[in-house]
This record gives sequence, C-alpha cells and structure tokens, in this order.
Amino acid sequence: VTMEDYDYLFKIVLIGNAGVGKTCLVRRFTQGLFPPGQGATIGVDFMIKTVEIKGVKVKLQIWDTAGQERFRSITQSYYRSANALILTYDITCEDSFRCLPEWLREIEQYANNQVVTILVGNKIDLAEKREVHRQRAEEFAEAQSMLYLETSAKESDNVEKLFLDLACELIREAKQNTLDNNESAPMPGEGKNINYLSCCSIN
Amino acid sequence: MEEVGSPAVRRSCPAGLSAVRAETIEGLTELEDLERVYAQLCGEEAEVQTELEALAGQQSSIETKMLALQRLGPNLQLIEGDAAQLSGMINFTCSLAENVSSKVRQLDLTKKRLYQAIQRADDILDLKFCTDGVQTALRNQDYEQAAAHIHRYLSLDQSVIELSRQGGESTAVDASLALLQEAELSLKALVTKRLEEAVATGDLPQVERFFKILPLLGLHEQGLAQFAQYLCSQLASKAEENLLLAVGSDLGERRAPVIFADTLTLLLEGIARIVETHQPIVETYYGPGRLYVLLTHLQKECDVQAQKVVDKFIKQRDYHNKFQVVQSSMMRGVSAEKIEPRELDPVLCEVTLMNSRAELYLRFLRRRITADFEVADAVAAETVIREHHQSLERLLKDCQLSRTMQELIGFYIPMEEYYMRETVNKAVAMDTAEAGQLSSSMVDDVFYIVKKCISRALTSGSSDCVCAMINHATSMLEADFREVLVCKLRAGYPASALQDLQRGVSSAVSLMQSSLQHGKIQTLGIESQEQAKSAYLVTLNNVEVCSENISTLKKNLESDCAKLFSQAAGSEHAQAKIDSCLSDLMNTSSKFKDLLQEGLQELNNTAIKPQVKPWISNFLSVSHNIEEEEFSEYEANDPWVQQLVVQLEQLMAEFKVGLSPMIYDTLTSLMTSLIAMELEKTVFKCTFSRLGGLQFDKELRSLVAYLSSVTSWTIRDKFARLTQMATILNLERVSEILDYWGPNSGPLTWRLTPAEVRQVLALRVDFRSEDIKRLRL
Ligand SMILES: Nc1nc2c(ncn2[C@@H]2O[C@H](COP(=O)(O)OP(=O)(O)OP(=O)(O)O)[C@@H](O)[C@H]2O)c(=O)[nH]1
Ligand SMILES: [Mg+2]
Repeated sequence: VTMEDYDYLFKIVLIGNAGVGKTCLVRRFTQGLFPPGQGATIGVDFMIKTVEIKGVKVKLQIWDTAGQERFRSITQSYYRSANALILTYDITCEDSFRCLPEWLREIEQYANNQVVTILVGNKIDLAEKREVHRQRAEEFAEAQSMLYLETSAKESDNVEKLFLDLACELIREAKQNTLDNNESAPMPGEGKNINYLSCCSIN
Repeated sequence: MEEVGSPAVRRSCPAGLSAVRAETIEGLTELEDLERVYAQLCGEEAEVQTELEALAGQQSSIETKMLALQRLGPNLQLIEGDAAQLSGMINFTCSLAENVSSKVRQLDLTKKRLYQAIQRADDILDLKFCTDGVQTALRNQDYEQAAAHIHRYLSLDQSVIELSRQGGESTAVDASLALLQEAELSLKALVTKRLEEAVATGDLPQVERFFKILPLLGLHEQGLAQFAQYLCSQLASKAEENLLLAVGSDLGERRAPVIFADTLTLLLEGIARIVETHQPIVETYYGPGRLYVLLTHLQKECDVQAQKVVDKFIKQRDYHNKFQVVQSSMMRGVSAEKIEPRELDPVLCEVTLMNSRAELYLRFLRRRITADFEVADAVAAETVIREHHQSLERLLKDCQLSRTMQELIGFYIPMEEYYMRETVNKAVAMDTAEAGQLSSSMVDDVFYIVKKCISRALTSGSSDCVCAMINHATSMLEADFREVLVCKLRAGYPASALQDLQRGVSSAVSLMQSSLQHGKIQTLGIESQEQAKSAYLVTLNNVEVCSENISTLKKNLESDCAKLFSQAAGSEHAQAKIDSCLSDLMNTSSKFKDLLQEGLQELNNTAIKPQVKPWISNFLSVSHNIEEEEFSEYEANDPWVQQLVVQLEQLMAEFKVGLSPMIYDTLTSLMTSLIAMELEKTVFKCTFSRLGGLQFDKELRSLVAYLSSVTSWTIRDKFARLTQMATILNLERVSEILDYWGPNSGPLTWRLTPAEVRQVLALRVDFRSEDIKRLRL
C-alpha cells in the first residue's frame, strides 16, 4: 500500500432514494459530464478519483449505491467501512426528503460511529419546482449534526465543492485520529478504536 | 618605372586605342625606352591591320544573307493568308461538332426514355401478370405464390405505377392496380388470420408456413409477434406442466431440495433452445437484426412463468417468513423465534442456484442479440447502433426476471449473513483445543464457514452479491470474531503459583498486590490455572492462524472470482469491485497481527518480566570485586549465569511447546531485550576488579551464546551495549580505552556515549577517578 501514489485513501458511499441524482453527481464529479437518460443503478457502482488538496494526494473511492428498495441489503454491507456518507435527496421531491429519517436509522444501525455524513439537496437547477425549502433542510441537517450542501449535477453547481470539502474534512479527522492514537497506547482490546482512517495513510 | 610597366596591361582597353598614351611618348627621354615603346606601337599596328582584313573578308557573306532576306518577304505574306484561312476552318468544325454532339445527347435522352417505356411496359405487364397470378394463386390457395406476386408488386417502383396511370393505358392499369390492392388486402387479412388460427391451434407446420409468408407482404412485426405468441404458448404450457410436477414431486427425491431451481432452469433452457431452433428461419425470412424483437416478446412470457416458479418457491420454501425471522433476530439480537442456521442451508443453496441460472440465461440473450445486431448493423449509422445497444440493455435490465432475481438476492444476503454469524457463534461456543494442537478448533472452523458462505454467494453469479458477502465477512472477522479473541486475551495469563512459592513469600505478596491492581485476585486452583495458561497460549496461536487464514482466503477467493467473472460482460467493472472488497478483507489480517503483538507484550509483562527481573538482580549478590582465589572458585562453581540459563530454559519450556515456532521466537526476542535492559541496569549498580571484569565478560559470553542458540533473531545487536561495557571493564589501564576509541575504533561502532564510558570505567575499583576525568573522549 505504501508504494501507491497517494497520501490518503477514503471510501465515500452515496445513499438516498431512487432517482435523486446520486449517479449523476458521481459522474459529474468523476467524468465531468451529465449523462443523458441515466438509468437506475443496479446494485452498486464503483469509481475512483484522485484529487490533490494543498499538496496532499487523496484517493477517493466512491461507491454509488442503488436507491431502489430491493438493493438495500447489498448497499447496507458498504456502510461499515465507509469513511463518509453522502445522503442525497431531491429538493423537488418532498417524498425523498421525508425518507431521510429512515436513512438516518440505517446509518445509525450499520455505519461506524466515526463516519462523516453530509446531507445533499440535489437538482437546484429546477428552482421553480422546489418542494423543500433550504432553511428546512438546513435545520434538519443541523439537528442531526450533519453538514449540508445544495447541488445541481446538471449545472455542475457545488459538485466539486461537495467532494473536495468532504475530502478536507476527512483529512482533518484522519490527522486528529493519528494524534489521538499516538497519545495513549491501549492495552489489548481495551477500547482501542479500529483505526479506519490512519490505516490507509502513509507516514 | 610604374608607368612604363603598365601599358601592356592596358592593351585590352575596350576603346581599341593604343595602350601607349601620347603624353607618355612625349615624356620619354631615354632612347632605350623610346625603342621599346616604338616596338610596342609597331606590334599594335600589325594587329589592327589583321583585324581590318578579317572584317573586310566578311562583307560578301553578309551581303548574301541580306539578299536571301529580301527574297523571303513575299512568302511571309502568303503564310499570313493561310493562317487566317485555317482559323476560319477550325471555327467551322467546332460549331459543326457542337451541333453533332447535341444530337447525340438528344439521342441518349430518347434512348433512356425508350428504356423507361420498356420498363413501364414490363411493369405493366408484371402488374398484369401479378394481377392474374394473384387471382389464380388465391383461387388455388397457393398463398406462397400469391404472396410472391404481391411482393413483386410491392417492390415495383411506385412512381412508375403512378406514371403508368397517367399514360394511355390508364384504365387498364387502374383496373389492375385496384385488383392488386384488393388482393393485397385480402391476402394480408387471410394470411394473418390463417397464422392466428395456426397459432391458436398450435399447428407448427402451418405456423411456420404463414410465418414465412408475412414478411413478403411487409408484415414483419405482425409475423414475429404471432410467431412469438405461438412460441410463448408452447413455453407456457410446458412451464405449467413442469411447475405442477415440481410442486407435486416427492420430497425424498434426489433433486427435491433444488426442484424450483431445476424448474426455472428448464424454463430458461427452453427459451435458449427456441433461439437455437428458430433463429435460422427468422434470419432467412426476416433478415438479421430481428432476434431482439422476437426475444422481447418471448421475455414477457419468460417473466410471467419465472414469476410463477419464484412465487411457488417462496411459498413452498417459506422464504419470506424465514427472512422475517432472520431479520428480527438480527435486529434484536436475542429473539424468541430463532432459526437453526442448518435449516437455511438448502434454501440458500437453491436461491443462489436460481440466480446463477438467470445470470447465465441473460448472458446468453446478450450474446445472441448482440451478434444478430452486429450482422444487421454492419454498415449502420453510429446512432442506430447505439440505440440498438441501449434497447438491449433495457431489455436485460428492466425485465421482470431480473427484478425478481434481484429481490430474491436481496433477501438472500441477510439470511446468508445470519447463517455465517450463527454458525461462527456455534464454532466459537464449541471451541475445543486438542492436546498437542497449538491452535483450537474454532479458527479453522470459522474460516471454513466464511469460505463456504462467500463461495455460495459466488455461485449466484452476481458480483454485487459476492461483494456484499465479502463485506459482511470482513465485518464479522474484524469486529465480532476479533472481539472473541480479544476477550480471551483480556482474561490474561496467570502467574504460576508454583513459581510464586519458589520465589518466596515476599514476591508472592507482591504478585498478589499486582494482581489486585489488575482488578482480579488469583483464586484459581493450580489445575484451572494451567487451563487458563494454555488457553492464553492457544489464543495467541489462534490469532496468528487467523491472519494467515485471511491471506489464504483472500487468495482463494481471488482466483475463484477471476474464473467466474472473466467471461461475463462488464467483467472488469465487477472484478474491480470484488478486488476492492477483497483488499478490505485482507486489511483485517494486519489487525490480527497487531493483536498478536499486543498479546505477546502482555505475556512478556505478566509471565516473563516478574520472573526474569529477580534472576538478573541476583547478579548483584555475586561480588565482582574479586581476586585470583575467588575467580578460580567461580570457575569451579559458577555463581550466577549457569543458574540463570537453567531458569530461563525452565521458564520458556512451556512457551516453547505451547506456542507456534514463530510466536515463540518473537516472545524469546522480547525476553532477550528485557534481559539486556535489566542486566545493563544491574551492572551499573556493581563494582568490578580487573578479574571481576573478566568474570563478567565470561558470564556475558555464556549468556549471549545461550540466547543465540534459542532464537533465530540476531541478538548481538541487543547486547551491543553490554558487550562494550564488558570490554571496558576488562581494560588493564584507563588510558587503554583510547586504543578502541575514536580513530582507533576500527570496525567497532560505540553504542555508549562518552559519559557512559566514563561511568563504566568508574565501576572499576582500581581505576582512579582523576585518570577517568582526564580522559579526552
Ligand atoms: N434537472 C436535474 N436533473 C437531475 C439532476 N441530477 C439528476 N437528475 C435526473 O434525475 C434522474 C435520476 O438521476 P440518477 O443519477 O440516475 O439518480 P440515482 O439517485 O442514481 O437513482 P438510483 O440509481 O435509482 O438510486 C435522471 O433522469 C437525471 O437526469 C440535476 O442536478 N438536475
Ligand atoms: Mg444511480
């Protein structure tokens, strides 16, 4: 691992209702395009993009999950090893917003407790069709101590920012984590946190 | 003299003047010069004379040429006249040619029209022929012939027919056309009806007969739809029959546990066989590129029939109910209703088998339809090709069969996870360590189970399903199973009561206190203490086996997956996902290695350190400030090191038999470091005579020799400082250190600082502190 060309490796998993635009966000970020007639994702898709932030090379492993119910048990198996979750809803679809608590329960149940979660309201290019007010979403996110961002995969609004902000946050936490772990050498099995983040960094 | 020398040069002056100027001559005074100039002038004169003669000689020839020129004059006038005449002729020829070629063009046009007229006449004749032919054929119920005529009519140029109607024969043509159109309509209706009837009665020869006729009438879509309907009804009746057999089959039969997978297989193989059998006639009579349409129809029936099989499977196998129970017992941990994992075994096998059949079938469809499109689209536009590709993807992705299978797999994964966790729990609960075995049964059992579950997921043929199970296995190993081992290690390694007694009451008390500090009082009897000890050692071995097993598992799965997914479409993508999940699995191996290190450190701290420390301290009670007599006495009766070696040997004996060679080696290495550190501290508390230094050197050599013999690690490095201390303690004089220091150190790298060197020197009772202070290191 140490010979590979990056300083950090992070796993990012996108979740949220079907059709909210997860795949479009990922394709916009990784390939710089808005795919016409994007079909529903089957199972899980996997993409890699390496970005450089202030001279630090960060490899992002992005898992784009299917929102349709029947794939839930496949996608759940990816939560635990995720460093970050992008919980996506569609601002023009009240229903996708109302499902968020259900998604949060999933996160609670399956993700590790160090996971960074960011709430994303997508499709802001369809402003005239907006059904969920920004303030409402912001309040919701704050109550759940999540970051919040509104995006448009179509117009490429905030998409780059979404992934880069997330990468920055993950680097920050990884650094914090290595510090914490160096301070106290734990006894075997005595509450030593599984060191997800620092395990993939090169020192 | 310069002036005189130059005339010869001037000879070539273009003016032809003499090279000797008049003034020059006038200025000459010497006879000699005059003579020379005179001779020169004479020479020039002669030359001019010759030139003149030559020119005069040319006069006659010039005159002759002039005469000839004068004679040419009238000829030239003649030529001019001729040229003008020629130009007139050319102009004339040109317009003549122009004239002729326009006539040729006209001729061409006429010829073309003539041909068209002939064609029209032919068409009209054909039309007539077709008209008559259709009538006769229809009368004779020769539908093939009739259709051939209509096909001929349909392939006639419609504009020609239009033209014909405007011609003189319009009434006759109109009549023919009317007849033909009528015949076309009635033939279409008739043939379609006959095909429908044949389909309804399941009369294959008639179905095939009319199926072949329809494309002649331009009814490709209808023909394919009807044919498909026939095939679907065949499919349906066969499928229902098979399902009935399946439901009613004897539970004792060999294939009973996979009867629904078998039934689904029969259905899908049936469709594959249809493709094999009927693709040739479709391609012959309908052309390439039609397989997609046919299979779109067939897929609808396939979806219906597959759903029926799956519904029966769900009902008969209690699939949903099993899932519910599993789900709730995983959510709440302990629940009233629990399923024996063994009970799930057959249904899990069957469901993966079903999915693998469906995957195989969909792959077959993809291959066949792609090949058929490729033939048809050989020269098609990029957009057409892309559109065909997309429709194929949609067909495969959106068909009910795919969805149904995805749902089944959606239920399968949690059940397989449950199976894995429960069976692993059982293996842990039934863990036994056979005497003489380094590790216990559970490690191999657990990995056997994990391998079994992932392999079963692999048989499903779905990469997402495999990835999900790899993820669950990783979670289970890294969190739950590792925790089991952590718990066992946390129970600790009990210090031996026997050794406590040997060490005497005071150390027993101190051990007691240290145990109290650890929050546990040693109340174990000797027997259970022995058990706890071996349990600890077995666990260490287990941890090591785990990290090895993880590597093996990863390697095996890697090659299995490569085999399975190498031929499938989009296989690189599936492979990349699997590789990523497998590398996460692999990472857990290092977590077990870390745990092993922690466990060994703990063992070193609790079982080795408390014993070894006092043994080393015993060094203090053996004086090293000795004379010849004591030195000989020590030689006869070793005061310390031999006993230490025996004690170490005894101490490590149980670890040597109880731990794997690799772990034992690591533990020995930890112990060696401990000894080196403790001995160094102890030596600093002693005083030495010259012979005492020698004695220490001997002791150190024996110790290092012994330790080297019990470990594969090089220990020289760990004892480097002590060895150097022994060297210093062995010196004759203080200043002798300079033979080894600085520029004289040779290959020796000092591990002691100058201050430490002085400190060691000061341990020698016979070295004067002024000498030591005076040393320049
Ligand atoms: N106007 C607009 N449409 C969008 C945007 N993002 C996605 N869409 C459209 O929303 C639909 C669904 O997008 P996907 O990216 O497939 O949604 P998904 O979340 O991946 O869906 P699943 O894979 O089924 O979970 C597509 O028709 C996209 O074209 C956006 O930012 N603006
Ligand atoms: Mg998607």
